[in-house]
Amino acid sequence: MALINILKISTVYSRVSLTFRFNVYIPKDLNDALRALKVEGEGLLPIAGGTDLLVLYRQGLVKFNKLLDLWPLRNSLSYVRFEGGYVKIGALTTVSELLDSRIYMDKRFLGFKDACSGFASPFIRSIATVGGNVGAAHPLSDIAILLLAYDANVKLASLDGERLVPLREFFIDKRKTLRKPDELIVELSFKEPPTNSSTSLIKLDRRVGHSMGYVIVSTYLELIDDIVKDVRIVFDSMGKPYPERAYKTEEYLRGKTLSEDVVKEASESILPNEMRRITDYRSSAEYRVELSKVLLKRALFKTKERILGGA
Amino acid sequence: MYMSSVPEYIKIVEEVFDKFKGREFLYIGKDVRRWDAVEKIKGKSLYTADFLKFYKNAVFVHSVRTKYAHALIKSIDVSEASKYPGVLKVITAKDIPGINDVGYVIPDQPLIADRKVRYIGDIVALIVAEDQMIAREAESLIHVEYEPLEVITDPLQVVDLMTLKEKPHTLIHDERGSDVLVHYKVRRGDMEKALREADVKVEGVYKTPFQEHAYLEPEAAIAIPEAEGGVTVISSTQCPFDVRKAVAKVLGVPLNRVRIVVPAVGGGFGGKEDVANEVAAKAALAAVLTGRPAVSIHTREESIIGHSKRHPMIAWYRHAAKKDGTLLAVEANIVMDTGSYASLGPFVPWRATVHATGPYKVGAARIDTKAVYTNNVYAGAFRGFGNPQVIFAVERQMDLLAEELGMDPVELRLKNILRVGDETVHGQKLTEEHGVGLEEALLKAVEASNWSSKRMEYRKAVGPLRKGIGVAIFYHGNSIGVEGADYSSVTLIINRDGSISFRTGLTEFGQGSTWGLVLIAAEILGVPPSYFKVENPDTSATPDAGPTVASRATVMGGAATVIAAHKLRKRLNEVASHILGCDPEDIVIKAPEVYCGSDPNRRTVWQDVVEQSFWLGIPLQEFGYYRAPRAVWDEETGQGAPYITYTFGAIVAEVTVDMETGLTKVDRIYTAYDIGRVINKVGAELNAEGGAIQALGYGLMEELIHDKDGRVMNPNLSTYYVPTIKDAPEIIPIWVEAHYRKGPLGAKGFGEPSFNAVATAIANAVSHAIGLPVYELPLTPERIYMMLKKAGKI
Amino acid sequence: MLEVRRSDVEYPDVEIVMKINGELKKVKVKPYERLIDVLRNKLGLTSVKEGCGRGECGACVVIMDNRPVPSCLVLAVRANGKSILTLEGLAPEGKIHAIQKALIDVHALQCGFCFPGVIMMSKHLLDNNPDPSEEEIREALDGNLCRCGSYLRFVKAVKLASKYLREGKTYFDESEVLR
Ligand SMILES: Cc1cc2nc3c(=O)[nH]c(=O)nc-3n(C[C@H](O)[C@H](O)[C@H](O)COP(=O)(O)OP(=O)(O)OC[C@H]3O[C@@H](n4cnc5c(N)ncnc54)[C@H](O)[C@@H]3O)c2cc1C
Ligand code: FES
Ligand code: FES
Repeated sequence: MALINILKISTVYSRVSLTFRFNVYIPKDLNDALRALKVEGEGLLPIAGGTDLLVLYRQGLVKFNKLLDLWPLRNSLSYVRFEGGYVKIGALTTVSELLDSRIYMDKRFLGFKDACSGFASPFIRSIATVGGNVGAAHPLSDIAILLLAYDANVKLASLDGERLVPLREFFIDKRKTLRKPDELIVELSFKEPPTNSSTSLIKLDRRVGHSMGYVIVSTYLELIDDIVKDVRIVFDSMGKPYPERAYKTEEYLRGKTLSEDVVKEASESILPNEMRRITDYRSSAEYRVELSKVLLKRALFKTKERILGGA
Repeated sequence: MYMSSVPEYIKIVEEVFDKFKGREFLYIGKDVRRWDAVEKIKGKSLYTADFLKFYKNAVFVHSVRTKYAHALIKSIDVSEASKYPGVLKVITAKDIPGINDVGYVIPDQPLIADRKVRYIGDIVALIVAEDQMIAREAESLIHVEYEPLEVITDPLQVVDLMTLKEKPHTLIHDERGSDVLVHYKVRRGDMEKALREADVKVEGVYKTPFQEHAYLEPEAAIAIPEAEGGVTVISSTQCPFDVRKAVAKVLGVPLNRVRIVVPAVGGGFGGKEDVANEVAAKAALAAVLTGRPAVSIHTREESIIGHSKRHPMIAWYRHAAKKDGTLLAVEANIVMDTGSYASLGPFVPWRATVHATGPYKVGAARIDTKAVYTNNVYAGAFRGFGNPQVIFAVERQMDLLAEELGMDPVELRLKNILRVGDETVHGQKLTEEHGVGLEEALLKAVEASNWSSKRMEYRKAVGPLRKGIGVAIFYHGNSIGVEGADYSSVTLIINRDGSISFRTGLTEFGQGSTWGLVLIAAEILGVPPSYFKVENPDTSATPDAGPTVASRATVMGGAATVIAAHKLRKRLNEVASHILGCDPEDIVIKAPEVYCGSDPNRRTVWQDVVEQSFWLGIPLQEFGYYRAPRAVWDEETGQGAPYITYTFGAIVAEVTVDMETGLTKVDRIYTAYDIGRVINKVGAELNAEGGAIQALGYGLMEELIHDKDGRVMNPNLSTYYVPTIKDAPEIIPIWVEAHYRKGPLGAKGFGEPSFNAVATAIANAVSHAIGLPVYELPLTPERIYMMLKKAGKI
Repeated sequence: MLEVRRSDVEYPDVEIVMKINGELKKVKVKPYERLIDVLRNKLGLTSVKEGCGRGECGACVVIMDNRPVPSCLVLAVRANGKSILTLEGLAPEGKIHAIQKALIDVHALQCGFCFPGVIMMSKHLLDNNPDPSEEEIREALDGNLCRCGSYLRFVKAVKLASKYLREGKTYFDESEVLR
């Protein structure tokens, strides 16, 4: 049998420091932060709540020597506001603040209640940020999934200016986004939806509380007399390792009456055709698909009820 | 050495039992607050890692673990790591001064692997450094050459389930020549005849998972070097005397050079038996080799990867019965996965074997249990100790049998359960003295839960949410049976100011059993519990009380307490009689009052009695020692009297299953237990709740998963799910008191039984709800969904 | 060939100021240090427990500027200028807080390792919601694992504490508890 030397590190050791230590740059304001990023480039990693980053670091899955602390930017980047027909959420808004904003008191935003109150645990919510959830680029990201249902845009800022990227294009691989090393996510925004619309988000796992979800689904519906004017369906994964829309299922539903039969057809026939799931230690692909079907049905009807005036 | 007559201490326990019969208690069974309540609630109680704040110059011990679950070690080069600034020493197997072994029962587990590694948690070197980060940094400078071997994660790769013969495979313990650790048997009655006479037979293969203790405090030890090559270790353990033995062995010093102190412990559940030896030994080694205080603290990930688990079981069962429900025979082949090392693996399968037919009268039985090594994380002690696994199989079988016979599951059980006068499957005759309250427990649980009507009504439901109700019963042998010398001891010291010091080597890790002992002493002495202080277990001050395992603290420690308190009380009565002039038997102590029962005006105070004893030269310290009556077990037939007595219980669970997703919610659990005299009511209730919630996790969500290379896939608490507050169902406790005459004031053990049958009651309820038999735990949504799908129910 | 450099010298101490349990504290920390380690080892506040170091158990929760945070996932430098409450600061010497009293009253105590976090979360809940429903209590304590399984008692205790607090009883004498 072959001999395997598990450590090949010594060849690179002379150049790469072994240390797990890091320095933290505490910027004065956004401009200062962006300047630091410009100068340091990839060597400087932004940290918001750290609930994703510090766990990866602990596991040795990311290594860094310099962090850019985004917390001081919270006085300018933590907000939920309605402006010019848009809903705008500052990247450093925590999940708790999102809940506190009571944005979900308006039925069009009830999905926020689902996403935030099912998010981790209350003490994680007080530091986990919206920008971090998007920046994590991980399938099991409740807020990002919900924001995709609103077809949100990501606003990126660098010293060179700002740009808007649709969230649906932002993820390019597991833990990879279109963000350039010198950019920061500063805002998530989406067009204020019409009154006859709402959203919901459902995740299910073997434990009710504090769970990751075998499957997470979020739906946005706009109904006119029971007819689907517009719809967006987002799953934690459609096949790629990040949240994505179920475009074909959406297309099927658009313009149809949201009846039992239509929903059944959408979730049981159309969805499985465009969804590919993986098997891992948590669950089999087969079960994930089956569960996706059931949860899609439930999410659609839940959203419909909300539009019709339920809770 | 030999005593043919009944020893004095057994007589005392019986005498005290008889004396208190029918008497009103002051503290026992009452709502009395724990001595450590304020300390703990204020966050002042110190747990092991908290002591670090006092040792500013402590060094850190970091365990370098293997990259392969099964491999030969060709070479280890630590020279580079040793030179890394801040590293004080890198310890490998050859640096161990004593014996490189921390095996709990048999010496099969090196502290630091030398020749080969057998699971993913095996340690190949210890880095001792100025801080944890330095140690982690230096880890990548350690070069190990491995020769990977075939990894075995399925126990059925080692033995065949139906023949139980060992299969050809790459041996994990090649030094033993076999990977079968133990084989236990029960042989009773005429199996062939029973099978011939049977009207119905049911069989099934049952599987249970690895369960992680997930005590909230990860393992920790701090070692302080002492004179003469000795060491003091602050250790988070359930068994300080076992830790002392392990540390002394590794260091190669006599036992009296090693002192183990146990501060507050953040949960144990059986898991802090063996791993505590390893952790303490690592710290001790580092302390002795560097001459500085040394700390070994496991991270949560290390804790999950590196300590024992509940043994998974795969079992084939066949039950045979007559048309009227009379149980004729039970046959079983049971395979338990002990993982990479034996740990308590020699004992757990024994308990499983003893309990393998459940609390029933069984005419004929053939049970064969084998525990085998694999390259999984090793399995050891966990609340229930082998019993929950076989309860799952037996009680599922009983439900299958009921279904087959068209009987109600309760009716079938009532027909076959053990009552006073019956013989257990081992031929042990149960008498009034043992206390057998199973029938009462079952009937009470059934009544409280309104079983009959729910059982019928729930089946009629339609729609996606289905309700189910299930029952499971069990018995649980008290203390350790024939597994070892079953003794315990306590010391009671009445101080000059009248306060009392209570010392025992039994540890308190949340279960509150030591508090129960104080209540016993308080009751017998006539002194309120607030006079007592329980000292932390310290091998240099407290007597060896045996391990705090096997639900033995109350029964065994309690008996020792009865003896010490009784002897002290006798002397105090004499002193009081000397002061007050009435008969010693007439003395009433209700501290601070002490008076003559016949003439309460003749009185004095507790302080005075204590002071007079001092001047009269009456010793006010007493040592209580108790050894359980010997258990009897024939290795070939499993006949004898394996345990001194049994705790009994009946659980009824109600669930709601979402048929579309497979998700189960437990709505309510009725727990009826016969634990003999309820000594510590508050503790018993808490334990009943805690055990039930932990078992709910076992039934529905908990399983440690290895991949085919033996790596643990879920070594943290967001992928290894334990129940949260949202899962906690309504729990209705019911107590039955069938007193055990040889137990302290009639008490039986309860630490483990609170876990035993809950998961199975839930499984039976799920089965009722979905109308399908279940064969495997945990009942995750996926498992239930796939069963429903396969059966065409969705 | 090997250039071994101990890198901690490159990461100088940073002095931070925090108001801890009402007192101003200056302490030197490394940029990579976690708040939990500073609280426990440098300030001796060992009520703050480490159960997982990954935000999964709640044992390390402290209240920072009126928000409960997992101190195992907070960098110490981030506590600069903040006010922090740990269990040590919940009640004056000789007294216990209503939540502590209630937990003792309902006999919730088992190993106690989860208690500091549970108490901090309960305090935060009651500060913001003086009369929480059972569901709200379960919601608030969802991240606090208690492996001993005292959950049902936590629900009862928070209810009872809310009653005490609404009656104006915030503190109790330690001595009156043990009777
Ligand atoms: C116990 C636990 C439970 C969890 N449960 C959930 C859950 O239920 N649902 C869920 O969705 N997630 C969950 N998470 C994951 C995590 O909390 C979320 O992804 C969270 O939103 C991350 O936010 P953060 O501010 O902490 O991000 P960080 O960890 O600070 O950052 C995450 C990533 O985004 C980058 N980043 C952050 N902010 C910016 C910015 N403004 N500009 C550019 N890049 C940025 C960082 O560099 C990093 O790569 C859980 C984590 C833990 C530890
Ligand atoms: S230690 Fe911080 S949440 Fe567990
Ligand atoms: S009391 Fe032990 S973990 Fe909660």
